[in-house]
Amino acid sequence: MAKFHYRLLSCLALSLGITSSAFAQQDTTLYHLRTVEIFGKPAEVFASGSRVSTLDSSFIRTYASGSIADALQARTPVFLKTNGPSGISTPSFRGTSATHTAVLWNGLNISQPALGLSDMSLLPLSSIGSIAVQHGAAGATYGSGAIGGAVLLNSPTQQEPGFGAEVLQEVGSFGRYFSSASARYSGQKVSVALGGYYLAAENNFFFRDYGRIGAPTRRQDQAQVAQHGFTQDVNWQLSPNTRLALHGWYTYANREVPPALGAANTNAKQIDRNLRLMTALNHSSNWGETTVRAAVFNDYLRYTDNSNNSLTDINTYQVQAEQTYTYARRWSLRGGLNLQHFEADVQGYGRQVTEDRASAFLLFRYDPSKRLDLSLNLRQAFVKGYNPTPAPTLGANWLLLEQNEHKLYLKGNVSGSYRVPTLNERFWQPGGNPDIKPEQGWSYETGLRHRYTWGRVQLESELSVYRMLVDNWIQWMPVTSSFWTPRNLQKVRSQGIELSSSASTSFGDWQLAATGAYTYTSSEQVKAYEGTQELNRQIAQVPLHKVQLGADLSFRTWTMLGNLTHTGLRYTDNSNAGSLPSYTLLNLAVHKKFTLGQYQFIASVRSDNVTNRAYTVLENVPMPPRSLTAGLRFVIP
Amino acid sequence: MKKITCFRSYFLSAAFALGALAFTSCDDDNNTGPAGEYARNGVLISNEGAMTKSNASVSFYSHGSKSVENESFKKVNAPLVMGDVLQHMTQHGDQLYLVMNNSGKVVVTNAQTLKAEGEIAGLEAPRYFAALNDDKAYVTEWLGYDPATFVYSNGRVAVIDLKTNTVTKTITVGVQPEQIVIAGGKLYVANNGGNTVTVINTATDAIETTIAVNEGPNSLALDRNNMLWVSSRGIKAYDPVDWSVSEESSTPGSLAKINPTSNSVVATLTFSQNAPAPGKLTPNLNGDKLYYVFNNKVWVQDVNATSLASQPLIDRGTYVAYGFNGLGVEPTSGTIYAGKATDYASNGWVVRYNPQSGAAVDSFRVGIAPNGFLFR
Repeated sequence: MAKFHYRLLSCLALSLGITSSAFAQQDTTLYHLRTVEIFGKPAEVFASGSRVSTLDSSFIRTYASGSIADALQARTPVFLKTNGPSGISTPSFRGTSATHTAVLWNGLNISQPALGLSDMSLLPLSSIGSIAVQHGAAGATYGSGAIGGAVLLNSPTQQEPGFGAEVLQEVGSFGRYFSSASARYSGQKVSVALGGYYLAAENNFFFRDYGRIGAPTRRQDQAQVAQHGFTQDVNWQLSPNTRLALHGWYTYANREVPPALGAANTNAKQIDRNLRLMTALNHSSNWGETTVRAAVFNDYLRYTDNSNNSLTDINTYQVQAEQTYTYARRWSLRGGLNLQHFEADVQGYGRQVTEDRASAFLLFRYDPSKRLDLSLNLRQAFVKGYNPTPAPTLGANWLLLEQNEHKLYLKGNVSGSYRVPTLNERFWQPGGNPDIKPEQGWSYETGLRHRYTWGRVQLESELSVYRMLVDNWIQWMPVTSSFWTPRNLQKVRSQGIELSSSASTSFGDWQLAATGAYTYTSSEQVKAYEGTQELNRQIAQVPLHKVQLGADLSFRTWTMLGNLTHTGLRYTDNSNAGSLPSYTLLNLAVHKKFTLGQYQFIASVRSDNVTNRAYTVLENVPMPPRSLTAGLRFVIP
Repeated sequence: MKKITCFRSYFLSAAFALGALAFTSCDDDNNTGPAGEYARNGVLISNEGAMTKSNASVSFYSHGSKSVENESFKKVNAPLVMGDVLQHMTQHGDQLYLVMNNSGKVVVTNAQTLKAEGEIAGLEAPRYFAALNDDKAYVTEWLGYDPATFVYSNGRVAVIDLKTNTVTKTITVGVQPEQIVIAGGKLYVANNGGNTVTVINTATDAIETTIAVNEGPNSLALDRNNMLWVSSRGIKAYDPVDWSVSEESSTPGSLAKINPTSNSVVATLTFSQNAPAPGKLTPNLNGDKLYYVFNNKVWVQDVNATSLASQPLIDRGTYVAYGFNGLGVEPTSGTIYAGKATDYASNGWVVRYNPQSGAAVDSFRVGIAPNGFLFR
């Protein structure tokens, strides 16, 4: 395995070497896909009638030293199950579990195949150009796992021509150090971007140890984190109509897992190493746009504690070819094929496991009039022995009212989704269940979107109501006293309301942008296929209410960011007998830009959990108190 | 499935409830007993909780109000967290001792109020607790698990000073020492990872002898004749593919009778099936009957019988894997209490069974994975 890594890494270096010697010098205009111009953001083209939100780039830059988990927690209604200050952080979209979120990087699914989920704290914001969040099912567009939603990550696109670089250094409370550096060059034909980061955090905050008699104040000593990684993005305009892109992304994390209050410290530690390499070829012709992506991913995970030593090492090879034809701003049709090959060396399987999966998709966007756009999408996945039923999507977005500066849209969509059982669910020894069926989801949603422009004030609000049924929901259960096994146990119904509003305005040197969102999520098991299960109770760890408020205020060279999130009560068990109290967190950041000739310095001060709230996300795992971080960013534009 | 059994047992339950009432009316515990919320006529239930989650709990069932209160420890002591994996709960004098396996400690509370009073810390994977007198107690500890070989090293018995709640001495015994029983000034330790019972002199805290028994002794019980019964698992061979216990390659479990005066095995009753393992030996009040779990069913052993029972007392057919996660016999009524763990993510049940017919009488909801009972 190690050898393989070396080869991949040297390939990466080699590709960098080649391109850096091929720097071109002339300016070039920004390259954009035609479909993007016509239909808006790429994530929304085939998503008529569904809810897609994007995280603004200023936020990503301000929180560049954080992870995607931090960004989702602060700026979206998604609830993140965070296992302590250093730990695993998995999203729960619309009352579903972590395996019901598809995470795509430049269009390809990067979920860890053994567990079928992505740990959001492993994905640094500094490696990402843009983040879009698809709320609700979109199995046709994003494939397996997109039951509750999808997180779409894209590498940075080319910026202004020429050379640019950035260095960021941060120092924070509880022994936190973050450094990152990036450089980019855009020429007429080639653009190259390189970045690396390093994070070390002791997380040695003080907390009251209620697991001991007398509740002594103790320092957290089992939450150290060391993370580093780098990215490289190369875009090569081979001809006016052809572009080649190479993306490399490596992340490494070595984290201690803190024990719950009252539990013995078992020295739990987790090492994650993920290498992702992708090449994408783009070609425009009279037949439309052709995109071919090929990727190789390696996901390595070693978990150790006093009584465990488990190793997961999986190579994924993935190819996706798609053809998009766009006709006169009226319709766009995309057809494609995705092939995946997994080679899994997982200790728990007792043997090497390989698997091939394929899926074919057809995405259709039709704008019969300027006021109406429709999507009709379909995907069929093929997995030997585990073929899910086809996942269609029908969505519409209709400009219902247009008066003065008001625009009111009515939208709705019906969407099928599925999740192919993970490798662990099928191959783990003992317990893996080869007879398990794929999960199947149906989602119905409707909503209103309102846009209003009044002078410099822009207001956009969205209200969505959804109802989702997930059948054959897989859950591990004990069947004999010696081991657990996954079963298609449940039918889960999740329904809720999502309300969000954002406003932006500017006057003089002042600029203000504010967002607010509220979600109500009711997620219950409505049917059980086996055993005594809990019916019609809120699923554990899904908050009924979440409120999020955010504001960015800037004045000349000053910028202030604030985030307030309120997470409602969560039940700790499926019987709803125990619960954890709600909590409200406030994060604030200020930065100031200094200009020195053509260079820029940005000094920043940030405080998380400003009100010093003692809280836990999961039971008995205390989270950090107020923290302070100071940072300095040096930018060569 | 559950509903049907419940229905079937309503008649029995009615009849039985009358019987229970008759008992409670004779019982003047409420008037003269010690003061405290949990001193009432009822049952304390230990709920193991899910490992690493620190959600173990204590429930209290009151015979008077016929109702159950869950999270009793939390109600009294919050925000204090009891700990992770409540393996064993036992009472000595006015104190309740709660063995928190994955917290490495024993939590000490007042037995009547459940108010936390202290803890015996510094233990490694403690399993079972037994008090000799007001000064001294013993706790078994598992040591030295190797995740590569799945094997433990020799465990130990910690000697506890109950005045200071500290460990004063440790005695190395066999592998995975499990249940302990004090009889005739001696401490008997079932070495579950081996095939011996260690005998420790409680005056000197030195090992006196070890008694060879069938492989995997896991539970101990004293009968009315002062004979010590040991349930042994037998050697279990697992199918490497589906991890089921192989009927061909395993050896049968057994019940053995030890005479504590001679420290010798006087009888061994061996099961006919190889794969299932017996466990959770629980005597009734008289000590003339021993209840135990075998093959996910509850069986009764007459202490004077020379062979094993041919029919189970409680047979739920295909039943949840942890349907008998805990077993208790109410001293006065003889009612059998079973702790039924559904999974470790939702609360379990206590199911009560008629001691004569073995029929389910009623059930009530408790915490996660109930595993033990203390009858008041």
